[in-house]
Amino acid sequence: MNKDTKPWVRSLLLAWTIAIVVFMYIPMISVFLASINAPRYFRFPIKKFGMNWYDDTFAASVTGDIHLTSLYVAAVVALVATVLGFFGALAFARFNWRGRSIYQKIILLPIFFPQAVLGLALLQWYTFLGIIPSWETAAFAHMVWIVPIVTLVISIQVFSFDASMEEAAYDLGATRFQVLREVTIPALAPGLFSGALFAFLLSWGNFPLSAFTSGADSTVPEWLYSKMTVAYTPMASAIGSLSVGGSLVILFGAWFMLIFWRRRQA
Amino acid sequence: MAEAEAFLRLTKLTKQFGKFTAVNGVDLDIREGEFFTIVGPSGSGKTTLLRMLAGLERPSAGDILLRGQRINDVPANRRPTCMVFQSLALFHHRTVGQNIEFSLKMRGVSRTERKARAMELLDMLQLPTDYYGKNVTKCSGGERQRVALARALASDPEILFFDEPLSAIDYRLRKLLEVELKDLHRATGKTFMYITHSLEEAMVMSDRIGIMREGQIIQIGTPNDIYTRPQSRFVSQFMGEVNVLAVTASGDKLEAPVHGAMLTSPPDRASGFEQGHLVIRPESVRFVSEGSGAENQLTGILYNEYAMGSRVQYHVRVGEEMFTVEKLREQAYQGNLNDEVTIGWDAKDSVLVAE
Amino acid sequence: MSDASHRLDEPSRLLALLRSIASPGVLNAVPPLLLFLTGFLGPLVLVGLTSFIPARTFGFHGDWTLENYSQLFAEGSSHYIPFLWSFGLAAACVAFLLMICYPIAYGMAKVFGKWASPITLLLVLPLFVSENVRLFGWVIFLMKGGGIFAGIMKTLFGLDPGSMLYTPAVVLFGLCYVYLPFMLFPIVLGVSMIPKDLVESANDLGASRFQMFREIEVPLAMPGLLVGGLLTFILAVGAISETTILGGQNISVVALDIRHEFTYNQNWPGGSAIAMLVTVLTGVLVMTLLNRLNLDRLLGKR
Repeated sequence: MNKDTKPWVRSLLLAWTIAIVVFMYIPMISVFLASINAPRYFRFPIKKFGMNWYDDTFAASVTGDIHLTSLYVAAVVALVATVLGFFGALAFARFNWRGRSIYQKIILLPIFFPQAVLGLALLQWYTFLGIIPSWETAAFAHMVWIVPIVTLVISIQVFSFDASMEEAAYDLGATRFQVLREVTIPALAPGLFSGALFAFLLSWGNFPLSAFTSGADSTVPEWLYSKMTVAYTPMASAIGSLSVGGSLVILFGAWFMLIFWRRRQA
Repeated sequence: MAEAEAFLRLTKLTKQFGKFTAVNGVDLDIREGEFFTIVGPSGSGKTTLLRMLAGLERPSAGDILLRGQRINDVPANRRPTCMVFQSLALFHHRTVGQNIEFSLKMRGVSRTERKARAMELLDMLQLPTDYYGKNVTKCSGGERQRVALARALASDPEILFFDEPLSAIDYRLRKLLEVELKDLHRATGKTFMYITHSLEEAMVMSDRIGIMREGQIIQIGTPNDIYTRPQSRFVSQFMGEVNVLAVTASGDKLEAPVHGAMLTSPPDRASGFEQGHLVIRPESVRFVSEGSGAENQLTGILYNEYAMGSRVQYHVRVGEEMFTVEKLREQAYQGNLNDEVTIGWDAKDSVLVAE
Repeated sequence: MSDASHRLDEPSRLLALLRSIASPGVLNAVPPLLLFLTGFLGPLVLVGLTSFIPARTFGFHGDWTLENYSQLFAEGSSHYIPFLWSFGLAAACVAFLLMICYPIAYGMAKVFGKWASPITLLLVLPLFVSENVRLFGWVIFLMKGGGIFAGIMKTLFGLDPGSMLYTPAVVLFGLCYVYLPFMLFPIVLGVSMIPKDLVESANDLGASRFQMFREIEVPLAMPGLLVGGLLTFILAVGAISETTILGGQNISVVALDIRHEFTYNQNWPGGSAIAMLVTVLTGVLVMTLLNRLNLDRLLGKR
């Protein structure tokens, strides 16, 4: 495929892509630099480096609170979204049924919707139903737009799933449940894993929905927002950097796990 | 062949992909207006060769000369050639008419002129003129082939290239299209270069055939040449089920390990021949009975028979080998399976190949 | 694709009951649809209904009115300003990102070969970092005086770039930055759907590079382009972090306007009317697009 394009065009495309990739990471590097800048006010070039803000971060109790909140929300979202996404994907891609094409369009709608407006609508909804916003309502809000995404991710896997494997299993005497356990879920495992990962990370980093639906509880992005717009403290930069680092670790970890799993399969 | 400038000449044409050499120093002269087919198994390099001629791959070495002009550096969209792809590559987001007119549109030909030409081609290819606005995806397999042909002919190219366009369609349609292609060639008078893995297909349509193996052309000739005088065992294997006997020279006869039989050599046996293979086509082998003999004879057991339309094929077990005999239906063998039979052929109907 | 039902196994009564009611497709669709109803459709219906009750009131007493909408379009209403900002910035964002992302998508789908995967990973990563963090990083980078960019300019060239933040341009920049992956990946999908032999055939038939692009590549990549463009547009319309973090108080966007109505003005009906307008506009765009797409083919069904 590569040999068709002229070399100078290839180099140009590659250079442009790399430039954009580098560009994407400039802010995260900046945040990191701000976090290791010892004085309170950031000045570049950095005169004095220090890890003091990280120390403060780990010492502050608010750090644990916000991370726990984010963790609860993300974990619940990841779990529930994967299960719902699994069913959703089967309906989306595996079975032929009469309402399928309408269903496909309906289920994707929440993705194509301004998140902040959805957050506000949900706030109104909770108020109407007399539900007090808390981290649980934030988790529900996340699920509304994340479940369709997970459904999509798993559907892509389902589309390349060979249904005759299930039929063969029946033919060989398996019960419905055994087929699910022995054939369907293992075959879809990479999709399920990717879906869960997406769900976790998208929930972790979400701001617009959390902002309006978490009530008194505060997730990491909400806390960061308040620090960025009102009362800046370099702890925000430290926590921000930790988020970046954490996401990197999780993603690369997942990537390696997937490669390892695929090698084991071959 | 006249020594005037060959129409299309390939000299030492080579293509390498990394360490792998797909086309290895091919020399070939194509005559203007001929239907030339390259026959070879997959991986022989025939597709790569064709793509180089069309301009879709750059040669690693060697030259392509059209009427004496070197065209290596002429890009595909400037060459006076057109290719019919294996998948046909029809633009499924466009109508039949838009597909056919495409090359004319690229050159800026006016809409009315384009449409006139498209109508002309629809007619030539025996497609209804109201197909002009029809969406390509709604056409049948045979119709799509014709649209692809019309599209390739629209800009009046000097050479048409065909990359195994008939390999993915069913037998009946293929046979029909082979005949149509040959008729089209006669009607347009253009140079056609065709590649396929089927010698049978090539023989129906071609003026000359080149057999390609592992990047090189190992034999060129008319269909009759290739069929009656294969120059190697490899080439003879393209002919389908032929009888191949390992033989060694023994005086002016040939000794075959089958029964230790001594066979009469074919008349064109080379003087230095030591060992090789004797190729006998099934239709040259006949059942011998008292009264009618043959120069070479062997006895065996009739193992099985296979009805094939107008002919019948027989497998006769001779020692360790299985011989294939083919007769027309009217001359079918009248005995039973497991009969002991004598089969034979005349020496002139056999071919000696080196390896 | 068939759903073989096996009558020889022994299902539980519940499963048997379920299976007799509806096909597997329908059954599997129920859980996510429930979420859709209670988490998406329900709230939006509520918002819709609320937009028709008198301003600054709460609860439904049967006194429906159109005053919230007419109020928006009335003389002196300034609600159109955030609307224009949101939709205008979103449109500009889509236009810029189309030009920025197409070459990358083309490279990823057709040119880079095995390098496409690592590059994809690198470009997906930032999505999982909160947009707040990333936008804040730009603040640090572009800050006047002590910012990184200013610092580099000063140290190397002795130049002072001055204030780059708190302008519409930098908000647009922020939008493009945040939504780049949302534009890129659908386009990659679209470009990967261009069959290679059609492009070669066009070349063979005499098309120049530009003609191949216009006649073959763009039409065939169109589903991906449309999905990417639409997704980016709609998400950008609802963006708030970019304007608040990068734009300061200078630019108001429609989501903030809605919140303002809900909280400061205690005018839930008024805010709902604005939200409804946004919903209807985006809804029309989405339904138009989704109806024209063949989702199965797009997502790789065999």
